[in-house]
Amino acid sequence: MQGATVVAAVRILVLLIALGFSNISSAQGAGNTFIDLLRVVKDVRGEFFDDNFGDPETDALPFASEASTSRFLAQATFGATRSDVSALVGTSVSDWLLQQFSEDPSDYLATLDSYQAQLPFLILNPWNRSATTFAFWQHSIAGKDQLRQRMVYALSQILVISNGGGNALTEYPEAVAYHQSLLTEFGFGNYRELLEAITYSPGMGYFLTYMGNQKGDPDTGRQPDENYAREILQLFTMGLVALNDDGTAASGSNDDNGSAELYDNDDITGLAKVFTGLDRSVNAAQGQNDPEAPEVLRSWREPMAVYPARHSASAKTFLGLTIPENTSAEDSITLALDRLMSVASVGPFLSRQLIQRFTTSNPSAGYISRVTQVFNNGRYSLPNGTVVGGGLRGDLKATIAAILLDRENLQPEAPNTFGKLREPVLRFTQWARAFNAGAITPEYTVELYDLSSVSIYGQGLAQHPFRAPSVFNFYRPGYVPPGTDSGAAGMTVPELQILTTETIPAYMNFITFFAMANTQYADLSTYREIGGLTGVNFDPELARTSFLPDYSYEKTLADDLPELFAHLNLLLAGGAMSQAAVDSFSDVVAGVPAEAGEDDWRATRVGLAVALVMTSADYLVAY
Amino acid sequence: MTHFLNRRHFLSSSLGCLGSLAMASFTQPSRAQENDEYQALVLLFQFGGVDCHDVVIPYGVGEYNEYANIRSELMSAYGSDRARSSLLQLASSGASAGFALPPELSGIKALFDEGTAALVGNVGPLVEPTNRDSFSAGGVALPPRLFSHNDQQSLWQSSSPEGASVGWGGLFSDLLIGQGISTLSDFSALTTARDRLFVTGYETAPYTASAGGLNLDLNDIVNSQADGNLAAVYQMLRAQGESAAHILTRDFAGATVSAFDANIEYSSILGGAPDLGVAFQADPVGTQLERVAKIIASRQEFGVNRQIFLVGAYGYDTHSAQPTSLPNLHSRLDAGVSAFSESMKNMGIFNRVTLATASDFGRTLADNGDGTDHGWGGHQFVVGGAVNGGSLYGDIPPPSFEHGQDAGRGRLIPTIAVDQYAASLGRWLGLDESSLAQALPNLDNFSSNPLANLLL
Repeated sequence: MQGATVVAAVRILVLLIALGFSNISSAQGAGNTFIDLLRVVKDVRGEFFDDNFGDPETDALPFASEASTSRFLAQATFGATRSDVSALVGTSVSDWLLQQFSEDPSDYLATLDSYQAQLPFLILNPWNRSATTFAFWQHSIAGKDQLRQRMVYALSQILVISNGGGNALTEYPEAVAYHQSLLTEFGFGNYRELLEAITYSPGMGYFLTYMGNQKGDPDTGRQPDENYAREILQLFTMGLVALNDDGTAASGSNDDNGSAELYDNDDITGLAKVFTGLDRSVNAAQGQNDPEAPEVLRSWREPMAVYPARHSASAKTFLGLTIPENTSAEDSITLALDRLMSVASVGPFLSRQLIQRFTTSNPSAGYISRVTQVFNNGRYSLPNGTVVGGGLRGDLKATIAAILLDRENLQPEAPNTFGKLREPVLRFTQWARAFNAGAITPEYTVELYDLSSVSIYGQGLAQHPFRAPSVFNFYRPGYVPPGTDSGAAGMTVPELQILTTETIPAYMNFITFFAMANTQYADLSTYREIGGLTGVNFDPELARTSFLPDYSYEKTLADDLPELFAHLNLLLAGGAMSQAAVDSFSDVVAGVPAEAGEDDWRATRVGLAVALVMTSADYLVAY
Repeated sequence: MTHFLNRRHFLSSSLGCLGSLAMASFTQPSRAQENDEYQALVLLFQFGGVDCHDVVIPYGVGEYNEYANIRSELMSAYGSDRARSSLLQLASSGASAGFALPPELSGIKALFDEGTAALVGNVGPLVEPTNRDSFSAGGVALPPRLFSHNDQQSLWQSSSPEGASVGWGGLFSDLLIGQGISTLSDFSALTTARDRLFVTGYETAPYTASAGGLNLDLNDIVNSQADGNLAAVYQMLRAQGESAAHILTRDFAGATVSAFDANIEYSSILGGAPDLGVAFQADPVGTQLERVAKIIASRQEFGVNRQIFLVGAYGYDTHSAQPTSLPNLHSRLDAGVSAFSESMKNMGIFNRVTLATASDFGRTLADNGDGTDHGWGGHQFVVGGAVNGGSLYGDIPPPSFEHGQDAGRGRLIPTIAVDQYAASLGRWLGLDESSLAQALPNLDNFSSNPLANLLL
C-alpha cells in the first residue's frame, strides 16, 4: 500500500477503537481489506473525517509559542495569565480542551444564594439587583471553567435576556441567575435541550412576554402574544432567510432581496399558540402579598408550570407542520422545537454567530461550512484523536472545538481581514486576569455598577453583561459599518456598532481607572452610603483593595522599557503590537522620572504603560 | 419596482445634480438661496413600535364604543384614563373632529390647538400604494420583512432592511451639501440615541452627542506625571488610520482620531452654551431633547446651517403590561416635546426647527389580553413653527377589522409612505426634487402628495 493509504488505514483503526465501534462487521458484512472498512465507515458515519483528525501538527499549533498561546487563551478564556502561558507552551491543545470540558461548572445559583444571605432585605436592595452582574464577574475572572463560561457569555448574546430594565427581572435576580445556570449547564451540551430549558424558564417567559400567555378568544378577538414565536425563529434558531451551510443566502424569490424568507406572519401566528399556558408556579397576583416569600422567589428560578386551561386547544400550523387539536402544551412545545431545530438554516445561522463571539467577525464561507458540519453531526475529533460530542445535531462541545481549531483560525489565509475588535467586557476580564487583580469584589467597586452607558465618572464599556439594551443584543451579527474600509468591503463587524464618539473615550477612561489602580483612592463616603442602602454592615475600606492589580512583576521592569513592553505585548496583545506603537508608548512612559529610593514611579510607569497598550489599536484588534 | 440604494448610483447622479443646480441659480432664485439661514430637523424615533391606536383614539360615540369593545380587556386595565370623557378631542369640526388624543398628550394637544403641531395619519414603509386586496392578493411590491423590529426600524430610517449602512437623514445632509446649502461638518448630523443609522450618510458621519463631551483621563496622567505628551501617540494613531496593514486596525484608529477631534470641539462649544431657561424632565427623552436644544442654541459656534438630529425614545414594544407602561411613555414624550418647543420659541427659532416623530410600526387593533402586537402603519406628529398645524393630514382608518387598509387584526396598511413623509421634511430643508428622488428611491411610485401643505 502507498504511504498515504497506510496513514488512512491507521486513522480508521484508531477511529474505530475510539468509537468503540464493535458492531461494524455485523452491520455491513465488511470485507477484510482496509478499503472495505473505509467504505463502510464512510457510509455509516457520513462526513466524519475532518482535517484535524489525528494531526499532531495541529495539536501543537495553538500552544507552539508564547505568542500563539496568549492569542489562543484570549479566544478560549477570559484572558491569559503569565502562569498559564508558561505552563501551556509546547503542550497539546487537545489535552487543554479535554481538561476544560471536565472542569466543574461554576454555580450561578449558589453564588446568588451567598450574596442574598448577607442582605437583610431583597426587594429594592441594590446588591440584590446587581447580584447576577457580580456573579458574572466572579465566574468569568476567577472561575476554573473558563471555556464553559466563555460559551455562557457567547450564548447570552444569542439567547438574550436582560435585567437592567427596572422591571421584575431587575427585582428578582433569581430569573437571570437561573438563565445563567441553564447556559452553564448546557454550555457543553445540546442546543435543542438548552432551547427547551430556556423556553420553560421564567426569565425568558417574562422578557419575551409569554409568561401568562393565554390561548385565543374568538369572542373578543384576543390572540396569543406573538413575541416569543417571532424571536425564537428570528434570533434563537434560524434567522429570516434560508441559508446554505456556508452561511450564504440560499437562492429563492420570496422577497425583493432575492432571498428565500423562511416564514411569514401566518407561521408566527400559528407558532404563537404553542407558547400559551405557561406561567410561574406562583403567579403575579399571588406574589403581591409577600414579594419575598420563599415560594415566590423559588418560582423565578425553576421551570414555569403548565396551566392546561390557558393552553391553546386548536390546531397549530407553522413551517409546514400542523400540531393536532387538543395537543398538550408539553407535547406541542416538544414538537415545535423539534420542527424548528430540523430546519437546515439553523446550523449556519448559529455557527456563524458563535464564530463571531470567539474568533473572527467576518468568517469565510469555508469556515462557516466546516463548523456547520460539526454542529450538524454533533461530533468532532480533536487533533489527538479523541472524539468529543454526543453525536446529535446541535452539540455545543463539538462546535466550540471546531471553531477554535479550524485551520482558518490557527493559520488565517487572509490575516489582514481576519479577526475582531475585542469585546469591551473581555478587555476588562483580560486585565483582571493578567494582573491578578486581587479581591474580585464588584460590589465594592461602584465603577462597575452600570456599564451600559457613560457614568457620571465619564467611564463605561458600552456592554454590561446580561444587560443588553434589547433582545437584539449589544450589536447585530449582520452589522456592516458605514464610512469604514471594512464596511466598504462588505464585512460584518458587529463590535463596530458600539464604537462611537462617546464610547471611545468612555472605554479609555474606564481602563485607565483600573490600570492606574485607582480603586485605592475610593471615596469611602460613597461606600458608607451603599452600606446604608443595602443594609449590609461592611468596612468601606474594602473598596480600596477591590480589583487592585498586582504589578509586582511588571514593576521590576519599570526601568527596562523594552522588556516591559515586550511582556505586555505578549500577555495582552498576543505579540501583535507594532514597533511604532511600542516606541511612541515608551517615549511617553519614559517621561515619568525614576526616583532613587522610591517605588511610586514604578507603579505609575506600569499603570501608564498598561493603559496605553490597552487603548491602542494594536491591542484592541485581535487577529 | 423596488429600489435599494447603492453608492455608485448615488454618486454618479449627484454629479448631474450639481450641474443642473448651476443652471438653476441663474434662472430663478432657488429655495437654497432664500433659505441660507439655519434649519434643523429632529427625528424623534419611538423604538419598539408605538401603539398608534392609543395615540389617536376615535372620538365619535359610535366609533369610540366599537373601539372600546374590541379592546375591552385593555380598556378596563386603563381605567378612567381611556374613558371617553378623559380624552382630548382634537377639533370640533373638520377631518380631525372624529379623533382625540389620550390625556397624557396634553402638551402636544396644546401645540395642535395653537397651530404648531400637525397629525399625519397612517404613515409607514411602502414600495407602492397598497391596500387590503392587493396585500392579500400579492399583486404589489411590498416592503421586506414586515413586522420585524430591526428590519422595520432600518426601513424607516434608510429605505433598506437590516444591513443598511446609510439613512435618509444622513443622505439629506449629503444632498444639502451637494446643493450648496450647507457645508460638511463633524456636526452636520447628530444622534443622542443608541442608534445612528438615520443620520449616517455617505459623506456625512454622525456625531454621538454625549452628555457633555468627555475628557480623557489619560491626558491628566500624562500631563502631571510625564514630560512627554500624547501628541505623538495621536499622530501614530492617525497614521495607523491611514496605513495599518489590518483593515480593522485602520477602521478603529480612524474612528478614534475622528472622535478625539470632534469631542474636543464639542466640549469647548457646549462648555460655553447659554442656559436655556426651560426645565426639561430628567428622563431619557427629556435629557436628549435638552441636549439637542443646547446644540441648536450654539449653532453659530458650530457654524453649520443645516443640522439633522436623531433622538431615541425606547420601550414601546408593549406586548404586555401596556396599560401600565404606555401612558408613562406618552407623558414622557409629551413633556419632552413641550419643553423643546418652548425652548425653541424662547430662542426665536421655532419656525426654523421641525420635530417629527417616527416608529418601527404601529400595532394591532386587537389586543392579546394585556398588550398589542406588531403592526405596520402608525400616526405621527410634526411639530414646529413652520408647520401648518391644527390639522390631520392623510387618513385614519376606522376602528374595526377587514376595512380597506386592514392587514389583519387591525394592523394598518399605510396610506402615506415614509418616502412621502420624509420628502415633505426634505423639501422644507431646501432639497430639490432631484435630490429627494436620490435619497428616497420609491418616491416616484406615489403620484399624490397629501403633505403638500404640511410645512411652510
